[in-house]
Amino acid sequence: MSEPSSRDTRLERDPAERAADHAAIDRLTDELLPALIAKLGATGLGELEVREGAWRVRLRRPGGPATRDRRSSDRAAERPTERAHSASSRPAHAVSHGTVRSDSRSVATSPAVGIYQPRKDLTAGARVRAGDRLGAVDMLGVAQEVVAPIDGVVGTSLVEAGDAVEYGQDLITIEFGVPTSTNGSGPS
Amino acid sequence: MFKKVLIANRGEIALRILRACRALGVESVVAYSEADRESLPVGLADEAICIGPAEAQRSYLSAPAVISAALVTGCDAIHPGYGFLSEDEGFAEVVAAHGLTFIGPPANVLERFASKAGTRQLLGAHGLPTIPGSEGMLRDDQHALAEAERIGYPVLVKPSAGGGGKGMRMVRTPRELESVLKVCRSEAKAAFGDDSLYLEKWLDENRHVEVQVAVDRYGHGVHLGERDCSVQRRHQKIIEESPTPALSPAARAELAEKAVRAVVAAGYENVGTLEFLVDTQGDYYFIEINCRIQVEHPVTEAVTGLDLVTMQMRIAAGEPLGITQADIDFDGHAIEFRINAEDASNDFRPGAGTVERYHAPGGPGVRMDSHLFTGYDVPPYYDSLLGKLIVWGPDRATAIARGRVALAELVVDGITTNVDIHQALLASETFLEGRMTTNLLDRVGSAAFLAAAARV
Repeated sequence: MSEPSSRDTRLERDPAERAADHAAIDRLTDELLPALIAKLGATGLGELEVREGAWRVRLRRPGGPATRDRRSSDRAAERPTERAHSASSRPAHAVSHGTVRSDSRSVATSPAVGIYQPRKDLTAGARVRAGDRLGAVDMLGVAQEVVAPIDGVVGTSLVEAGDAVEYGQDLITIEFGVPTSTNGSGPS
Repeated sequence: MFKKVLIANRGEIALRILRACRALGVESVVAYSEADRESLPVGLADEAICIGPAEAQRSYLSAPAVISAALVTGCDAIHPGYGFLSEDEGFAEVVAAHGLTFIGPPANVLERFASKAGTRQLLGAHGLPTIPGSEGMLRDDQHALAEAERIGYPVLVKPSAGGGGKGMRMVRTPRELESVLKVCRSEAKAAFGDDSLYLEKWLDENRHVEVQVAVDRYGHGVHLGERDCSVQRRHQKIIEESPTPALSPAARAELAEKAVRAVVAAGYENVGTLEFLVDTQGDYYFIEINCRIQVEHPVTEAVTGLDLVTMQMRIAAGEPLGITQADIDFDGHAIEFRINAEDASNDFRPGAGTVERYHAPGGPGVRMDSHLFTGYDVPPYYDSLLGKLIVWGPDRATAIARGRVALAELVVDGITTNVDIHQALLASETFLEGRMTTNLLDRVGSAAFLAAAARV
């Protein structure tokens, strides 16, 4: 579950450097990982990533962001696009059914170009699990499901029912963790 | 005329269609995949809509995504460009069923010309000489051997379905034929799900000459002359020119007139191209029709002064052609160089990457149709065409001279292109004397041309 970044891994590193790396690995496995696992269990998050220096650790709940795992073959093909987007100044559109935008929220995006209809009973503040159906986009009479990208709470609806949407367009924000009263507008 | 057109393509042709829409005062929407979000057509568009991921099957080749995009943006027509869905009669039919116009031949016309063998029969019946070939599909090895004997070796074994050289083999003897039939069948089966094969006479030294036609809904047709596309590698055109150096003016006129008469009689509609093979004696044989705007259409625009894309749109909108053959003047000589992201010195391997600096050449008689710009990331998912350089001159020598200057001026830093092979060709006696044949580049090898050019 842990992965070092593409840092210098040549064998001819000097002993001091190597010792430092080993110490870092030890600290990761002995202290950091157990703490992170506990944190992940407590929050209901689907995925957690921590960076420290040149190291990065990512934890993913089994069956976590289900949409991503199911579509792993698509994602492999789309990765360069994703990279190009993050480098651009335009707001990035998600390549899967959602992206993590900040520490506290994620957005469910449109799986197709067509007309958007949210689920009838969808209300702001409702708790959803990753993969839960939030609505659908009608593409020439075929309903393409909009699903929650992560476990969380339904936040703001960014488009109206019946709106035309494009592929990858932001539809509904999903807040992490407990609902907060500071968020006013809900899905219509 | 249409109110709003969905441009269902990418790259330089999306840009070309966008310009045609603007020239006609028609609104347009550029449909794009996620890989093309930062592309020039999207950037210049009045309106753009993302229709799917980079994978063409789920974006540019997805009929539901394209049609849905046209409907939600309020378009009344779809321009498919070339490639992708441009000759798919099923797509054209669904487009029409949704109350939209497909900019190209109507679905029933596309269907009539969908089968290569059927089209050859149809146009053969309307007076076009066709390449000698087997009667129908090959039943078995015995039938194949008998038919090859009748046609005369060498023969080309071709699959009934598909294209792109898969399942295709040229053989010179009965023994070779017997040995390749099985391979061709399995290749064709794997690539197209259909293992039926037929034979075609193989012309060792042939030129590819094609006739551009335009036919309106009311059965009025004109030809816009021919283009010579004999400079090819692996059945892909890289240089096209008009007029062809292979035929006399009288022979060119006769070929073009025969071609337009045959397609009008066969019920063709909209712009289209009839491809012919021309042998060393100047005899020509019809091989296939392309029911779309072609990559090399600017060559014809340069010598006729006509705009083929707006013409295509007008015909699809039901307007009469408005011109007769007598109104069309052919002036001078034009050459198009396809600028591809590939390495000619390394077996034409395709490339992708960032364009670090781009500069398009200019001057009299120089046109550059390209979607490149400095900083553009060429995505690896689609074809290798980066742009087209078209040069015109009052005669072939002037066009070639302008071509040399323009190719030298063109800057595409950061990506390996085939510009050096174009320059090598412009230095070769064979090209300068107008003696290129379709298999020459593959047979001699591009390295030989590059080496010869380096010695000059």
